[in-house]
Amino acid sequence: MNPAISTGGRRTLWVMFWFLVVFLYAPIIILIIFSFNDSEIVSFPWLGFTTKWYHQFLQEPALLSALKTSLLVATMTSVVATALAIPASIALVRRRFFAKGLVSGVMLAPLVIPLVVLGISLLILFNAVGVPLSPFTAAIGHVVIALPFAILTMVPRLERIPAALEEASRDLGASAMQTFRLITFPLLVPALISAFLISFTISFDELVIASFLVGDQATFPVYLYSQLRLPERLPSVIAVAVVILVVSVIVVVTSEAARFITERRLEAQTGMAADEYGSLRGGKG
Amino acid sequence: MSTGRCEVGRDESMSDPTTPAISIRGVTKRFGDVVAVDDLTIDIREGEFITLLGPSGCGKTTTMRMVAGFEEPDAGDILLRGEDVVGVPPNKRHVNMCFQNYALFPHMDVQENIEYGLKLKKVGKDDRLRSVQAMLAIVRLEGYERRRPGQLSGGQQQRVALARALVNEPAALLLDEPLGALDVKLRKQMQLELKRIQNELKTTFVYVTHDQEEALSMSDRIAVMNDGVIEHLGSPREVYERPATPFVADFVGVLNAAELAVSSVDGDRAILTINDRDRVVAPTLGQQLPTGTLALVAVRPERIEITRGAADADGGSRLSGTVAQVVYLGTLTQFHVDTAAGRTFVVHQLSTEGSDAIDAGDEVTLTWPVEDTSILRVGAEA
Repeated sequence: MNPAISTGGRRTLWVMFWFLVVFLYAPIIILIIFSFNDSEIVSFPWLGFTTKWYHQFLQEPALLSALKTSLLVATMTSVVATALAIPASIALVRRRFFAKGLVSGVMLAPLVIPLVVLGISLLILFNAVGVPLSPFTAAIGHVVIALPFAILTMVPRLERIPAALEEASRDLGASAMQTFRLITFPLLVPALISAFLISFTISFDELVIASFLVGDQATFPVYLYSQLRLPERLPSVIAVAVVILVVSVIVVVTSEAARFITERRLEAQTGMAADEYGSLRGGKG
Repeated sequence: MSTGRCEVGRDESMSDPTTPAISIRGVTKRFGDVVAVDDLTIDIREGEFITLLGPSGCGKTTTMRMVAGFEEPDAGDILLRGEDVVGVPPNKRHVNMCFQNYALFPHMDVQENIEYGLKLKKVGKDDRLRSVQAMLAIVRLEGYERRRPGQLSGGQQQRVALARALVNEPAALLLDEPLGALDVKLRKQMQLELKRIQNELKTTFVYVTHDQEEALSMSDRIAVMNDGVIEHLGSPREVYERPATPFVADFVGVLNAAELAVSSVDGDRAILTINDRDRVVAPTLGQQLPTGTLALVAVRPERIEITRGAADADGGSRLSGTVAQVVYLGTLTQFHVDTAAGRTFVVHQLSTEGSDAIDAGDEVTLTWPVEDTSILRVGAEA
């Protein structure tokens, strides 16, 4: 019991918490409900249970190809963003250099730049240079917005790896590259997985930049958006959305659980350092 | 396990016992405007246990990190067994380090941690296993090969860290406050262990600490550092009993010091008279001490004899005073005495049934032999 909060205060917090839960998840619940409604009009009254929308989308080649494009773009994005985030976060955490604050600001700037602005400027750039639009150009755009998230995922993990481990490795005869391969990288793996998944999710459901840069091969969000003009397509679009939702929740939850378990195991073994960091992190341990 | 696994000069220099294990010559290191190490010179002998002792910020850790290769000096040379290693990266220097919090690799077990250096040097599997077993026997951790660092106590982690460094047969082992994270009892035990291991392997140990007791109990020689320079280099006994500077005297232990004028010199002893009853007698040790010069003289608390009333000095120093406070410390009883020298002196006596006979307010006489006085400085403070 928290002595700083009165009984009335606790009740208020409780109400606010459930309000937030409903606010966040009600639309998703409604989406799931309507994906099984036997009606082309997405609205009450309920006209009966059906799975036909799920069957229907499986027979929609355009939709399947949009899914495929999205998977391709998201895979390229997450591979590149994660690979770039490794050296970037190492530089930010381990090295001291001139104007470090400015550099980290520049790297994280895409977080606050409006996507429309970013999309248009990349479109102009690709046109000027003469690069044809394709899933590749969309992936480049997505790397720009995913990179800050990948870096921000890796920085805290790297900060928890004591620099003395790397020094000890050098001291025992390892070169800088060997030290990265044998010490830093294995300890960074949980964060790499997180960064990869976050980049993947960001790319997978990104609409604005993709619509500017993907050319004529629509990604999944671009396709969904275009289908909204056609009312009779709406129910199967909803069904796809539910499938995507369920799959991504499963992927993220299992991977986060796996990451949590490996991190706990690694930290238990860092001995002293882990104790210090554990108490700093407070609740999570 | 000794065939040519070293990068830096082993063969011929090894056989020459006069080549120092580590030779630091005129080394200076600055961090911005701060001079961390200032024109430092020291030769560390093959096989000795040397301690760099000093307060935090005195440059002891920086000195050690320059030897290991984690910092490069701004000026000066560092020689390992006669070969200049300035500019050589840490992985190419034949010294190994024990880190403050051990820095064991958490994702490897004890065996993998210890054989890490050997693997990098491409030592064969059988040789590696044999070396690791030999090291585990020395640090007394047989049977722990498959444990992970997280499953070991602090003392055991410390032993693994030692084994991991020593298995590489370094020209010198650098220890950076290795016992700092252990509790007092374990620390005492590990001090003895370290000394035993060093005796067994005859490896040169360079030990960094701010704990004077650790330094005194383990070292062959102590280098007391302050503000980036070595103020005193000598055996523990020399450093403790004849500190070269007021700083050393103060840092290495509680010290009673007073500034007095030299009244006369009688052969090899200087007499500093306060009044007809009280005087301090100090060995001159060849110093020129003209009559009238001020000298800072000092004596250790445990060297002083405390007697109620008057007492005979027998040719040594004698100071009368009043007991201001008596502090019972278990084995020792500590007396704070306001003396005729104008300073409060601290006196340690073994607690006996007699020593509680002296109480606060009692008139006492402090006496100590000539050779227990040291002259820390001649002339007034600049």
